[in-house]
Amino acid sequence: MTVGSFIIKNALRNKRRATLSVLSVAVSLFLLVTLLVALRELTLPPEDAGAALRVVVRNRVSLANPLPARQRPIIEKIPGVEAVSPFTWFGGNFKNEESMTFAQFAMDPKLLRTLFGEAKMPEKQYEDFLKDQRSAIIGKLSADKYKLKVGDKISLTSTIYPATLEFRIAGIYSGTIDDRNLLFHHKYFDEATGDLGQVGTWWVKVRSAEDMPRVITAINAAFANSSSEVRAETERAFQLSFISMLGNIKLLVGSISTVVVFTLILVTASTMSMAIRERFRELAVLKALGFRRRELFAFILAESFGLALLGALIGVGGAYALYTYGNISHMTGGIFITFEVTPKIIGFATLVAASLGIVASIAPSISVARTSVVDGLKTLD
Amino acid sequence: MALPLTYNVRNVLVRWRATLATILGIALVVAVYVSVQAMATGLEKSSTNTGDPRNVMIVRKGSTAESSSQVTREQFKLINYLPQIARDSKNQPLISADVVVLINLPRRGDGGEANVLLRGISPVGIALRPQVTLVEGRWFTPGKREVVVSRRLAARFANFEVGDKFKTGGKELTVTGIMDGNNTAFDSEIWMDADESRSLFDRENYSSLLLRVLDAAASQTLIARIESDKRLPLHALSEVDYYKSQTKTAVPIKFLGDFLATAMSIGAIFAAMNTMYASVGARTREIGTLRVLGYRRRSILASFLIEGAFLAFIGGLLGCLFSLFINGYSIGTMSFQSWSETVFSFRITPWLAVKGLIFSVIVGIVGSLLPAIRAARLPVIAALKSV
Repeated sequence: MTVGSFIIKNALRNKRRATLSVLSVAVSLFLLVTLLVALRELTLPPEDAGAALRVVVRNRVSLANPLPARQRPIIEKIPGVEAVSPFTWFGGNFKNEESMTFAQFAMDPKLLRTLFGEAKMPEKQYEDFLKDQRSAIIGKLSADKYKLKVGDKISLTSTIYPATLEFRIAGIYSGTIDDRNLLFHHKYFDEATGDLGQVGTWWVKVRSAEDMPRVITAINAAFANSSSEVRAETERAFQLSFISMLGNIKLLVGSISTVVVFTLILVTASTMSMAIRERFRELAVLKALGFRRRELFAFILAESFGLALLGALIGVGGAYALYTYGNISHMTGGIFITFEVTPKIIGFATLVAASLGIVASIAPSISVARTSVVDGLKTLD
Repeated sequence: MALPLTYNVRNVLVRWRATLATILGIALVVAVYVSVQAMATGLEKSSTNTGDPRNVMIVRKGSTAESSSQVTREQFKLINYLPQIARDSKNQPLISADVVVLINLPRRGDGGEANVLLRGISPVGIALRPQVTLVEGRWFTPGKREVVVSRRLAARFANFEVGDKFKTGGKELTVTGIMDGNNTAFDSEIWMDADESRSLFDRENYSSLLLRVLDAAASQTLIARIESDKRLPLHALSEVDYYKSQTKTAVPIKFLGDFLATAMSIGAIFAAMNTMYASVGARTREIGTLRVLGYRRRSILASFLIEGAFLAFIGGLLGCLFSLFINGYSIGTMSFQSWSETVFSFRITPWLAVKGLIFSVIVGIVGSLLPAIRAARLPVIAALKSV
């Protein structure tokens, strides 16, 4: 019998316990990976392909305050600006649903291709959308969810404006990072709300990446000390500003992950010591046969390490398979669109498992080292 | 005949070294569950605690929150004359026309920003909300750019001490006082004069109206009167009911709590199984003896189930104790209804603790089921012979 097979035989001699230990490690690591990915998705939302050249302009007071429509020509004249579209949150509830599950924005349809080039749909559908002021385009995810087809009519009641709008679906797009939104003609919105002369935000396409900082400064300066001061920022910065609003949620998920890891260590360590205590007598025999403490440590360590890594393989691998090949937006009811298990997270979880294997073998090793051969042989359990 | 309970209790206690880790594991699972649910409860309570039953609130029909509601000045004037409204000693109607504006302000320290709800109120608006008390400084003066901030927000945002100034809408506002909302939604608000706010943010309309009615019957009449008036696109409801409807933000938190509890309890069940199997294994001979003494299989089964449940119950108790540490701890996040920072505290209610305990007992019973069956099925003679 080789040392390797001796360790494997030992680890599996109580198959039930080995399975339970491996499974509890697997479940905990699965949970850990899930929490880490959720935390990462919350704090680092995925970036759209075209985001690098887009600037979002909102009211300096807050996003909830509108901007005057008269600002548009002023922004358009700023050098480096390619296109400016209004982008107004409609906040409509679909049918009789209690809360909205997809966002709706009023915009300038002519600029769709310029601003959101990544949104792909057949040319015919786009032309149809351009022609009909009462039509809208909707992302594929939402269309699938509500089984909407091109040509269907949907009606949305705004929670912000006293208006209910009916749209004909002219097209279904896909290819953006979040294919859920409904986009429609700002003119239709203006008509329905009585020409308020207001927009929610301006979305600006900038000619080149070098122009970005200058354009942002110029837009901010253009409306300084006016009745509607603005905050222009990159789309990324705009996105990230929502994360600061989440407040303590980040910290909360972080602390829960810590508790999970701690529980994991506790439970696995206790299982390991249980396994070792059970064969105290054997270890004493090995000692009597002339095996050194160092070698006994190695046996215990290898066994605990092996069980922990097997658990990691199942837990982390399972999480990876589920989140990579499963439909995450369906599973979370649309809270998460992407749920990427990054190599860094896999590495971290495996590292946790490895340290777990080491930590769990410490207590049994110490008690084995402390016990004299005679005492060990006397143990009955 | 059932085995005495003390047998199980003493067994758990005598093997405390082996069971300690399992108990602690279950304790942590229960602690996480209770804490996350306590957060959801705290968030809900901060809303459902809010409001005075004598008050009626009026918002635009179809708007789900004050921040997206509008009430015109004409509508305000019309409602002002309704006879159901209580009046003060000077015979003025007790009605406050509020302007709710979200303003983006820097947090203390980390440099992030968040939306804060700034409520402009009529002078009578303070008296209409007896839950709010001034704890430092003085109230704002109508007609001046002065604000009073809540104590909880002051702890989270920059420039929120009495005497500090901050800029919004191109103008500077001075903090003159700190108020305490006593665990209501007002803990997440800044107050200033309504008309000053309207001019500062260029608002033609008000957001909502809050008024005091003469009595409960008057409240019914007034609500019916406004709801039935086709010319008024307004929605009237009691202030208490309005705040009861503002608890949707707690839903994803509850979901998180349930998800964590489910996932972690699977791990805890495995741990409990391990412990109980070891316990059965170590007591094989004892079980044989019990069988010889005349205890039946089902008594043995029940006995081990009770032992597992008891073990988990201790864990559950410990978990509830752990979670008590965060009771009352204040945290903040963005509300999905008002889109502004909502500050609230963890709230552990007795019912929540009971739920945690029930949960732990279930984990214990499920975890000990298979080991208990094994114990009950042990052949008597073989069990007696085992070392």
